[in-house]
Amino acid sequence: MSKERSIKQYEEDRRQAAAIAARLLLASATTSPRVGGVGECTIQIIDDECDIEDLCQAVEQMAADNEKWAFFKRDAMMLRDADAVLIITSIRCLTDPADINCNMCGHLTCEYQRKAPKLEKEPGIAYTGPLCLFRANNISYAVEAIVSTARTMGIDYGVYWSAGAAAMRMMIVPKNTGFCLAVGISISEKSPFRDVPKDYADINETTMNDRIIKRLWPQFRSIYS
Amino acid sequence: MATDMNELLTNGLDRAVELMVVAAHNSFRFGGRNTVKIARLTTEDQQEIAEFCYSLGDMSPLAARDGRFLMELIKEPCALLMFGDRRKSDLNFNCGACGYKSCAEMNRAEEVESLTARGPSCQFKAINLNIAAGAAASTAWRLGLYCRVFSTLGFASFALNKMEDVDMAVTVSVSVAKNDPYFDRHQYWTDEHWKETFNKEFPTFTRGFIGAIEQE
Repeated sequence: MSKERSIKQYEEDRRQAAAIAARLLLASATTSPRVGGVGECTIQIIDDECDIEDLCQAVEQMAADNEKWAFFKRDAMMLRDADAVLIITSIRCLTDPADINCNMCGHLTCEYQRKAPKLEKEPGIAYTGPLCLFRANNISYAVEAIVSTARTMGIDYGVYWSAGAAAMRMMIVPKNTGFCLAVGISISEKSPFRDVPKDYADINETTMNDRIIKRLWPQFRSIYS
Repeated sequence: MATDMNELLTNGLDRAVELMVVAAHNSFRFGGRNTVKIARLTTEDQQEIAEFCYSLGDMSPLAARDGRFLMELIKEPCALLMFGDRRKSDLNFNCGACGYKSCAEMNRAEEVESLTARGPSCQFKAINLNIAAGAAASTAWRLGLYCRVFSTLGFASFALNKMEDVDMAVTVSVSVAKNDPYFDRHQYWTDEHWKETFNKEFPTFTRGFIGAIEQE
Protein backbone atom coordinates (compact mmCIF):
# COMPACT_ATOMS: atom_id res chain seq x y z
CA MET A 1 0.00 0.00 0.00
CA SER A 2 1.36 3.35 -0.84
CA LYS A 3 1.53 5.98 1.84
CA GLU A 4 2.47 9.60 1.78
CA ARG A 5 6.06 10.25 2.75
CA SER A 6 5.03 12.28 5.81
CA ILE A 7 2.82 9.47 7.03
CA LYS A 8 5.65 6.97 6.59
CA GLN A 9 7.88 9.34 8.54
CA TYR A 10 5.29 9.48 11.32
CA GLU A 11 5.09 5.68 11.49
CA GLU A 12 8.87 5.42 11.69
CA ASP A 13 9.10 8.08 14.44
CA ARG A 14 6.35 6.38 16.39
CA ARG A 15 8.32 3.13 16.36
CA GLN A 16 11.46 4.98 17.45
CA ALA A 17 9.54 6.64 20.26
CA ALA A 18 8.49 3.20 21.49
CA ALA A 19 12.11 2.01 21.45
CA ILE A 20 13.28 5.05 23.41
CA ALA A 21 10.37 4.76 25.85
CA ALA A 22 11.21 1.10 26.46
CA ARG A 23 14.73 2.12 27.50
CA LEU A 24 13.45 4.86 29.82
CA LEU A 25 11.07 2.36 31.40
CA LEU A 26 14.04 0.03 31.87
CA ALA A 27 15.80 2.84 33.75
CA SER A 28 12.79 3.32 36.01
CA ALA A 29 12.48 -0.41 36.67
CA THR A 30 16.18 -0.70 37.46
CA THR A 31 16.12 2.08 40.06
CA SER A 32 12.93 0.85 41.75
CA PRO A 33 13.29 -0.51 45.31
CA ARG A 34 15.04 -3.87 45.86
CA VAL A 35 15.03 -5.62 49.20
CA GLY A 36 18.47 -4.99 50.69
CA GLY A 37 19.58 -3.31 47.48
CA VAL A 38 20.64 -6.68 46.08
CA GLY A 39 20.62 -7.07 42.30
CA GLU A 40 17.66 -9.32 41.64
CA CYS A 41 15.90 -8.32 38.43
CA THR A 42 17.04 -7.99 34.86
CA ILE A 43 14.99 -6.30 32.18
CA GLN A 44 15.13 -7.55 28.61
CA ILE A 45 13.82 -5.27 25.87
CA ILE A 46 12.28 -6.85 22.79
CA ASP A 47 11.49 -4.11 20.29
CA ASP A 48 12.03 -5.92 17.01
CA GLU A 49 8.78 -6.85 15.26
CA CYS A 50 10.06 -10.30 14.32
CA ASP A 51 11.31 -11.01 17.86
CA ILE A 52 7.93 -9.96 19.28
CA GLU A 53 6.27 -12.35 16.82
CA ASP A 54 8.58 -15.19 17.96
CA LEU A 55 7.59 -14.50 21.55
CA CYS A 56 3.89 -14.41 20.69
CA GLN A 57 4.15 -17.76 18.90
CA ALA A 58 5.79 -19.25 21.99
CA VAL A 59 2.95 -17.87 24.12
CA GLU A 60 0.39 -19.38 21.74
CA GLN A 61 2.08 -22.77 21.86
CA MET A 62 1.89 -22.76 25.64
CA ALA A 63 -1.90 -22.28 25.58
CA ALA A 64 -2.42 -25.99 24.90
CA ASP A 65 -0.09 -27.11 27.71
CA ASN A 66 -2.47 -26.43 30.62
CA GLU A 67 -6.25 -26.25 30.62
CA LYS A 68 -6.14 -23.02 32.65
CA TRP A 69 -3.93 -21.30 30.07
CA ALA A 70 -6.53 -20.87 27.31
CA PHE A 71 -6.26 -17.09 27.72
CA PHE A 72 -2.65 -17.24 26.48
CA LYS A 73 -3.91 -17.10 22.88
CA ARG A 74 -5.66 -13.82 23.58
CA ASP A 75 -2.55 -12.48 25.34
CA ALA A 76 -0.42 -13.40 22.32
CA MET A 77 -2.77 -11.61 19.95
CA MET A 78 -2.67 -8.47 22.13
CA LEU A 79 1.11 -8.53 22.37
CA ARG A 80 1.37 -8.74 18.57
CA ASP A 81 0.08 -5.17 18.57
CA ALA A 82 2.70 -4.03 21.10
CA ASP A 83 5.55 -1.84 19.87
CA ALA A 84 7.96 -3.25 22.47
CA VAL A 85 7.87 -5.89 25.16
CA LEU A 86 9.88 -5.65 28.38
CA ILE A 87 10.69 -8.96 30.04
CA ILE A 88 11.35 -8.58 33.77
CA THR A 89 13.15 -11.49 35.39
CA SER A 90 13.94 -12.54 38.92
CA ILE A 91 17.31 -14.28 38.87
CA ARG A 92 17.74 -15.24 42.54
CA CYS A 93 14.37 -16.61 43.59
CA LEU A 94 15.06 -20.09 42.20
CA THR A 95 18.54 -20.78 43.50
CA ASP A 96 19.31 -18.22 46.20
CA PRO A 97 16.64 -17.76 48.91
CA ALA A 98 16.92 -14.54 50.93
CA ASP A 99 17.99 -16.24 54.21
CA ILE A 100 15.51 -14.32 56.33
CA ASN A 101 13.27 -17.28 57.23
CA CYS A 102 10.04 -15.40 56.47
CA ASN A 103 7.90 -18.51 55.81
CA MET A 104 5.98 -16.94 52.92
CA CYS A 105 6.88 -20.02 50.87
CA GLY A 106 5.54 -22.24 53.65
CA HIS A 107 8.84 -23.99 54.43
CA LEU A 108 9.54 -22.17 57.74
CA THR A 109 13.27 -21.62 57.12
CA CYS A 110 15.36 -20.96 54.03
CA GLU A 111 17.36 -24.11 54.82
CA TYR A 112 14.21 -26.24 54.45
CA GLN A 113 13.23 -24.28 51.35
CA ARG A 114 16.57 -25.12 49.74
CA LYS A 115 16.04 -28.82 50.44
CA ALA A 116 12.42 -28.88 49.25
CA PRO A 117 12.19 -30.71 45.91
CA LYS A 118 11.52 -28.42 42.96
CA LEU A 119 8.75 -29.22 40.49
CA GLU A 120 9.98 -31.15 37.44
CA LYS A 121 10.15 -29.24 34.17
CA GLU A 122 7.11 -30.27 32.16
CA PRO A 123 4.83 -28.56 29.62
CA GLY A 124 2.05 -27.82 32.13
CA ILE A 125 4.39 -26.07 34.59
CA ALA A 126 5.36 -22.45 33.96
CA TYR A 127 7.69 -21.86 36.93
CA THR A 128 9.46 -24.68 38.76
CA GLY A 129 8.61 -23.75 42.36
CA PRO A 130 8.86 -23.56 45.28
CA LEU A 131 10.49 -20.17 44.68
CA CYS A 132 11.72 -17.71 47.27
CA LEU A 133 8.68 -15.40 47.37
CA PHE A 134 10.58 -12.73 49.24
CA ARG A 135 13.14 -12.52 46.43
CA ALA A 136 10.57 -12.76 43.66
CA ASN A 137 8.57 -9.91 45.24
CA ASN A 138 11.23 -7.51 43.98
CA ILE A 139 9.81 -8.04 40.52
CA SER A 140 6.60 -6.33 41.60
CA TYR A 141 8.46 -3.10 42.40
CA ALA A 142 10.09 -3.21 38.96
CA VAL A 143 6.74 -3.81 37.26
CA GLU A 144 5.11 -1.04 39.29
CA ALA A 145 7.91 1.35 38.33
CA ILE A 146 7.35 0.56 34.66
CA VAL A 147 3.60 1.02 35.03
CA SER A 148 3.86 4.30 36.90
CA THR A 149 6.48 5.76 34.53
CA ALA A 150 4.47 4.63 31.51
CA ARG A 151 1.44 6.41 32.95
CA THR A 152 3.49 9.57 33.44
CA MET A 153 4.82 9.45 29.90
CA GLY A 154 1.37 8.70 28.49
CA ILE A 155 2.26 5.31 27.07
CA ASP A 156 -0.19 2.40 26.94
CA TYR A 157 0.91 -0.70 28.80
CA GLY A 158 -0.25 -4.20 29.58
CA VAL A 159 1.23 -6.63 32.11
CA TYR A 160 1.29 -10.34 31.22
CA TRP A 161 2.76 -13.33 32.95
CA SER A 162 2.14 -15.55 29.92
CA ALA A 163 4.82 -13.80 27.87
CA GLY A 164 7.21 -13.96 30.83
CA ALA A 165 6.74 -17.70 31.11
CA ALA A 166 7.17 -18.05 27.34
CA ALA A 167 10.41 -16.02 27.43
CA MET A 168 11.75 -18.47 30.00
CA ARG A 169 10.87 -21.35 27.70
CA MET A 170 12.57 -19.62 24.78
CA MET A 171 15.68 -19.27 26.97
CA ILE A 172 16.14 -15.60 26.12
CA VAL A 173 16.50 -14.67 29.82
CA PRO A 174 19.37 -15.32 32.30
CA LYS A 175 19.75 -19.04 32.98
CA ASN A 176 18.91 -18.95 36.70
CA THR A 177 15.65 -17.08 36.14
CA GLY A 178 12.94 -18.53 38.38
CA PHE A 179 10.14 -16.06 37.80
CA CYS A 180 9.43 -13.77 34.92
CA LEU A 181 6.77 -11.24 33.92
CA ALA A 182 6.31 -9.19 30.77
CA VAL A 183 5.05 -5.68 30.08
CA GLY A 184 3.94 -4.76 26.59
CA ILE A 185 4.00 -1.09 25.62
CA SER A 186 2.29 0.59 22.74
CA ILE A 187 2.32 4.06 21.23
CA SER A 188 -0.80 4.22 19.12
CA GLU A 189 -4.18 5.94 19.05
CA LYS A 190 -5.99 3.02 20.69
CA SER A 191 -4.40 0.95 23.39
CA PRO A 192 -4.19 -2.65 22.16
CA PHE A 193 -4.41 -3.80 25.79
CA ARG A 194 -7.84 -2.33 26.61
CA ASP A 195 -11.35 -3.03 25.28
CA VAL A 196 -10.29 -6.39 23.96
CA PRO A 197 -13.06 -8.79 22.85
CA LYS A 198 -13.22 -12.12 24.70
CA ASP A 199 -12.41 -14.14 21.55
CA TYR A 200 -9.72 -11.75 20.37
CA ALA A 201 -7.56 -14.68 19.23
CA ASP A 202 -10.07 -15.32 16.43
CA ILE A 203 -11.62 -11.92 15.83
CA ASN A 204 -9.04 -9.15 15.60
CA GLU A 205 -7.80 -6.52 13.19
CA THR A 206 -5.66 -8.97 11.23
CA THR A 207 -8.34 -11.62 10.72
CA MET A 208 -11.01 -8.99 10.00
CA ASN A 209 -8.81 -7.39 7.33
CA ASP A 210 -7.83 -10.73 5.93
CA ARG A 211 -11.29 -12.22 5.71
CA ILE A 212 -13.29 -9.20 4.63
CA ILE A 213 -11.25 -6.48 2.95
CA LYS A 214 -8.39 -8.49 1.50
CA ARG A 215 -10.65 -11.22 0.17
CA LEU A 216 -13.04 -8.87 -1.59
CA TRP A 217 -10.85 -6.01 -2.71
CA PRO A 218 -8.81 -7.80 -5.47
CA GLN A 219 -11.98 -9.09 -7.14
CA PHE A 220 -13.71 -5.74 -6.80
CA ARG A 221 -10.68 -4.11 -8.41
CA SER A 222 -10.53 -6.51 -11.37
CA ILE A 223 -14.27 -6.44 -12.01
CA TYR A 224 -14.48 -2.66 -12.08
CA SER A 225 -11.19 -2.05 -13.90
CA MET B 1 -3.71 34.82 60.51
CA ALA B 2 -1.05 32.68 58.85
CA THR B 3 -1.32 28.93 59.37
CA ASP B 4 1.47 27.33 61.34
CA MET B 5 4.01 25.37 59.27
CA ASN B 6 3.73 22.22 61.38
CA GLU B 7 -0.02 22.23 60.99
CA LEU B 8 0.36 22.57 57.21
CA LEU B 9 2.88 19.72 57.20
CA THR B 10 0.76 17.30 59.22
CA ASN B 11 -2.37 18.15 57.23
CA GLY B 12 -0.41 17.73 53.99
CA LEU B 13 0.91 14.40 55.21
CA ASP B 14 -2.62 13.20 55.97
CA ARG B 15 -3.82 14.16 52.47
CA ALA B 16 -0.74 12.57 50.89
CA VAL B 17 -1.33 9.32 52.75
CA GLU B 18 -4.92 9.31 51.49
CA LEU B 19 -3.69 9.80 47.92
CA MET B 20 -1.15 7.01 48.37
CA VAL B 21 -3.93 4.67 49.49
CA VAL B 22 -6.01 5.65 46.44
CA ALA B 23 -3.05 4.92 44.13
CA ALA B 24 -2.39 1.60 45.85
CA HIS B 25 -6.05 0.66 45.78
CA ASN B 26 -6.28 1.34 42.04
CA SER B 27 -2.88 -0.13 41.14
CA PHE B 28 -2.39 -2.87 38.58
CA ARG B 29 -3.06 -6.37 39.86
CA PHE B 30 -3.18 -9.82 38.33
CA GLY B 31 -6.63 -11.37 38.16
CA GLY B 32 -8.32 -7.96 38.04
CA ARG B 33 -9.75 -8.28 41.54
CA ASN B 34 -8.62 -6.06 44.36
CA THR B 35 -8.12 -8.07 47.54
CA VAL B 36 -5.27 -6.11 49.14
CA LYS B 37 -6.14 -4.63 52.53
CA ILE B 38 -4.62 -1.28 53.45
CA ALA B 39 -4.53 0.46 56.83
CA ARG B 40 -2.75 3.43 58.37
CA LEU B 41 -1.23 2.43 61.68
CA THR B 42 -1.46 4.82 64.62
CA THR B 43 1.53 6.24 66.46
CA GLU B 44 0.82 3.86 69.36
CA ASP B 45 0.88 0.94 66.92
CA GLN B 46 4.18 2.19 65.55
CA GLN B 47 5.57 2.50 69.06
CA GLU B 48 4.54 -1.09 69.76
CA ILE B 49 6.07 -2.30 66.47
CA ALA B 50 9.29 -0.44 67.22
CA GLU B 51 9.58 -2.03 70.65
CA PHE B 52 8.81 -5.47 69.24
CA CYS B 53 11.46 -5.08 66.51
CA TYR B 54 13.99 -3.79 69.01
CA SER B 55 13.29 -6.77 71.30
CA LEU B 56 14.32 -9.16 68.51
CA GLY B 57 17.88 -7.96 69.15
CA ASP B 58 20.41 -10.62 68.25
CA MET B 59 17.81 -12.81 66.55
CA SER B 60 17.52 -10.22 63.79
CA PRO B 61 19.95 -7.28 63.95
CA LEU B 62 18.27 -5.74 60.94
CA ALA B 63 14.84 -5.73 62.63
CA ALA B 64 16.45 -4.33 65.79
CA ARG B 65 18.04 -1.54 63.77
CA ASP B 66 14.68 -0.72 62.17
CA GLY B 67 13.09 -0.80 65.63
CA ARG B 68 15.59 1.72 67.00
CA PHE B 69 15.06 3.78 63.86
CA LEU B 70 11.26 3.77 64.14
CA MET B 71 11.44 4.97 67.75
CA GLU B 72 13.28 8.06 66.50
CA LEU B 73 11.14 8.45 63.40
CA ILE B 74 7.82 8.79 65.24
CA LYS B 75 9.09 11.84 67.08
CA GLU B 76 8.51 13.83 63.89
CA PRO B 77 5.37 13.77 61.68
CA CYS B 78 5.28 10.43 59.86
CA ALA B 79 2.86 7.71 58.80
CA LEU B 80 3.05 3.96 58.40
CA LEU B 81 0.84 2.20 55.88
CA MET B 82 0.30 -1.53 56.22
CA PHE B 83 -0.63 -3.69 53.23
CA GLY B 84 -1.87 -7.23 53.76
CA ASP B 85 -3.41 -10.04 51.77
CA ARG B 86 -4.48 -13.67 52.03
CA ARG B 87 -2.09 -16.37 50.93
CA LYS B 88 -4.48 -18.69 49.09
CA SER B 89 -4.89 -18.32 45.34
CA ASP B 90 -8.19 -17.33 43.76
CA LEU B 91 -6.49 -16.76 40.42
CA ASN B 92 -6.37 -20.31 38.99
CA PHE B 93 -3.20 -19.70 36.96
CA ASN B 94 -1.70 -23.15 37.78
CA CYS B 95 1.75 -21.63 37.19
CA GLY B 96 3.80 -23.78 39.60
CA ALA B 97 5.71 -20.92 41.28
CA CYS B 98 4.49 -21.95 44.75
CA GLY B 99 5.85 -25.46 44.28
CA TYR B 100 2.47 -27.11 43.69
CA LYS B 101 1.19 -28.21 40.32
CA SER B 102 -2.17 -26.49 40.63
CA CYS B 103 -3.78 -23.71 42.65
CA ALA B 104 -6.25 -26.20 44.11
CA GLU B 105 -3.37 -28.35 45.37
CA MET B 106 -1.70 -25.31 46.99
CA ASN B 107 -4.94 -24.18 48.63
CA ARG B 108 -5.40 -27.68 50.09
CA ALA B 109 -1.83 -27.88 51.42
CA GLU B 110 -1.20 -27.75 55.14
CA GLU B 111 -0.87 -24.20 56.49
CA VAL B 112 2.47 -23.41 58.12
CA GLU B 113 2.31 -20.88 60.96
CA SER B 114 5.17 -18.56 61.75
CA LEU B 115 5.86 -15.21 63.36
CA THR B 116 6.49 -13.43 60.06
CA ALA B 117 3.92 -14.89 57.65
CA ARG B 118 1.71 -17.88 56.96
CA GLY B 119 2.66 -20.11 54.06
CA PRO B 120 2.63 -21.50 51.46
CA SER B 121 1.42 -18.45 49.55
CA CYS B 122 0.46 -17.77 45.99
CA GLN B 123 3.30 -15.98 44.19
CA PHE B 124 0.88 -13.78 42.29
CA LYS B 125 -0.98 -12.73 45.46
CA ALA B 126 2.38 -11.64 46.86
CA ILE B 127 3.15 -9.78 43.65
CA ASN B 128 -0.22 -7.99 43.79
CA LEU B 129 0.43 -6.99 47.39
CA ASN B 130 3.86 -5.58 46.62
CA ILE B 131 2.66 -3.78 43.49
CA ALA B 132 0.12 -1.99 45.71
CA ALA B 133 2.92 -1.05 48.12
CA GLY B 134 5.05 0.09 45.17
CA ALA B 135 2.22 2.25 43.84
CA ALA B 136 1.88 3.95 47.23
CA ALA B 137 5.64 4.49 47.33
CA SER B 138 5.78 5.96 43.83
CA THR B 139 2.95 8.34 44.71
CA ALA B 140 4.81 9.41 47.84
CA TRP B 141 7.92 9.97 45.71
CA ARG B 142 5.98 12.18 43.32
CA LEU B 143 4.43 14.15 46.16
CA GLY B 144 7.89 14.83 47.53
CA LEU B 145 7.59 12.83 50.75
CA TYR B 146 10.45 10.88 52.26
CA CYS B 147 9.54 7.25 51.81
CA ARG B 148 10.80 3.72 52.27
CA VAL B 149 9.26 0.27 51.89
CA PHE B 150 9.87 -1.84 55.02
CA SER B 151 9.43 -5.60 55.08
CA THR B 152 10.86 -5.84 58.61
CA LEU B 153 8.10 -3.60 59.97
CA GLY B 154 5.64 -5.54 57.79
CA PHE B 155 6.65 -8.80 59.45
CA ALA B 156 6.44 -7.14 62.87
CA SER B 157 2.98 -5.71 62.24
CA PHE B 158 1.88 -9.17 61.07
CA ALA B 159 3.34 -10.74 64.22
CA LEU B 160 1.49 -8.20 66.36
CA ASN B 161 -1.74 -8.93 64.48
CA LYS B 162 -2.31 -5.33 63.39
CA MET B 163 -4.61 -6.44 60.57
CA GLU B 164 -7.28 -9.14 60.67
CA ASP B 165 -7.49 -11.96 58.13
CA VAL B 166 -4.18 -11.51 56.36
CA ASP B 167 -1.37 -14.01 55.84
CA MET B 168 1.42 -11.72 54.67
CA ALA B 169 2.15 -8.04 55.06
CA VAL B 170 4.43 -5.25 53.93
CA THR B 171 4.63 -1.64 55.10
CA VAL B 172 5.39 1.70 53.52
CA SER B 173 6.65 4.44 55.80
CA VAL B 174 6.51 8.12 54.88
CA SER B 175 7.81 11.14 56.71
CA VAL B 176 8.01 14.91 56.52
CA ALA B 177 11.02 15.17 58.84
CA LYS B 178 13.62 17.95 58.62
CA ASN B 179 15.96 15.74 56.61
CA ASP B 180 15.58 12.37 54.88
CA PRO B 181 15.47 9.89 57.77
CA TYR B 182 15.41 6.72 55.66
CA PHE B 183 18.87 6.52 54.16
CA ASP B 184 22.43 6.76 55.50
CA ARG B 185 21.23 5.72 58.94
CA HIS B 186 24.71 5.28 60.40
CA GLN B 187 23.67 6.51 63.83
CA TYR B 188 21.67 3.33 64.40
CA TRP B 189 24.74 1.07 64.19
CA THR B 190 27.41 1.20 66.88
CA ASP B 191 31.08 1.19 65.86
CA GLU B 192 31.75 -2.12 67.63
CA HIS B 193 28.77 -3.73 65.91
CA TRP B 194 29.97 -2.50 62.54
CA LYS B 195 33.50 -3.86 63.07
CA GLU B 196 32.24 -7.19 64.38
CA THR B 197 29.81 -7.66 61.51
CA PHE B 198 32.34 -6.59 58.90
CA ASN B 199 34.94 -9.02 60.18
CA LYS B 200 32.37 -11.80 60.29
CA GLU B 201 30.97 -11.14 56.84
CA PHE B 202 34.21 -10.33 55.05
CA PRO B 203 36.90 -12.28 56.92
CA THR B 204 39.23 -12.24 53.92
CA PHE B 205 39.26 -8.45 53.60
CA THR B 206 42.26 -7.95 55.87
CA ARG B 207 43.88 -11.31 55.18
CA GLY B 208 47.07 -11.56 53.09
CA PHE B 209 46.46 -14.85 51.37
CA ILE B 210 44.47 -17.97 52.13
CA GLY B 211 46.11 -19.98 54.91
CA ALA B 212 48.17 -17.09 56.24
CA ILE B 213 48.54 -16.76 60.01
CA GLU B 214 46.34 -13.92 61.22
CA GLN B 215 48.05 -11.12 63.12
CA GLU B 216 45.89 -9.60 65.81
